[in-house]
Amino acid sequence: MRMSKIVRFSADMLFGAILIFGFYIIMHGHLTPGGGFQGGAVVATGAALVIVAYSYEEVLGMIKKAGLMLQESAGLVMFAGVALIAIGLGTTFFFNFLANSGSLFGMSVPYGPNSGELNTAGVLPLMNIAVGIEVWGGLAIVILYMLSGISKAEEV
Amino acid sequence: MIETIIHVLVIAGLVVSAILVFYFRDLLAAALASGLFSFLISLEFYILQAPDVAVSQAGIGAGLTTAIFILAIRSTKRYEEDV
Amino acid sequence: MRKSLSIIVIILFGIFLSLIAIDLTFGVPDNTGMDDYFIQNGQEQIATNNIVTTVVFDYRGFDTLGESTVLFTAVIGVALMYRKLIKGDADENE
Repeated sequence: MRMSKIVRFSADMLFGAILIFGFYIIMHGHLTPGGGFQGGAVVATGAALVIVAYSYEEVLGMIKKAGLMLQESAGLVMFAGVALIAIGLGTTFFFNFLANSGSLFGMSVPYGPNSGELNTAGVLPLMNIAVGIEVWGGLAIVILYMLSGISKAEEV
Repeated sequence: MIETIIHVLVIAGLVVSAILVFYFRDLLAAALASGLFSFLISLEFYILQAPDVAVSQAGIGAGLTTAIFILAIRSTKRYEEDV
Repeated sequence: MRKSLSIIVIILFGIFLSLIAIDLTFGVPDNTGMDDYFIQNGQEQIATNNIVTTVVFDYRGFDTLGESTVLFTAVIGVALMYRKLIKGDADENE
């Protein structure tokens, strides 16, 4: 069972915009309000819109369950891995080894209110991306499993 | 002045949408009113200068919770019965 | 009888919460030592403009690791429950 043509068309139109907004929140987590968790939740909302609008068989053609599961695990492993690299470099767990280093994400910022630069904050953008991937996969797969419960149960 | 008016309007909308959730017999309309409640709460968080909480409330409260309610209504009955 | 009792309880609880809310002051915390340290040194040490992200992911990063683990475990629990409930879905993607 799927929803009406109006709902499906609106879901198709809104999906791209929601996806782009979620990626913006994840990528600018160290500059603007938001971050990995909030951006991942917004992207999962876009996925939930498509999942609600279509039937289970059509959704399985668009989204793969194993892909979402892999995404969730990869996010958590990447988050812990970035924290563990700091131990390998001889510092403490969760030490920000990229900040003010001049390499990737390594610019420094002046004190006080300023507009900011994307290429700052050390390992924080990497951690934002990791948490964003994890939250996206996790929340989307919860909704997908609930839809799979409908398709096998008797539709009223 | 204008901030106070917006604040009062948002809080009045919160009370009205909470009463609507209780009032509706159509469960789909009740789920959408609950989504409106979450959206107005996220607006209230933004007015109180907590944009982080506002974004996560709009994503999880207004988006994912409403989606879960709609999926549950799709697999059960849409109208509430008098017991 | 029961209805009027519940209304009285609701009104008493509302008065209780309002009395707490009247006493609160927004934006003026009592102990500001930790906040001042974060605001003074956050931009210099971590090179981030968003102080909230600095606290969540760097100063309190271990807390965020636990939070991610909680989300991961919850999703694993949901997946296990639905695989048990729906027969025929268990050997679909194994």
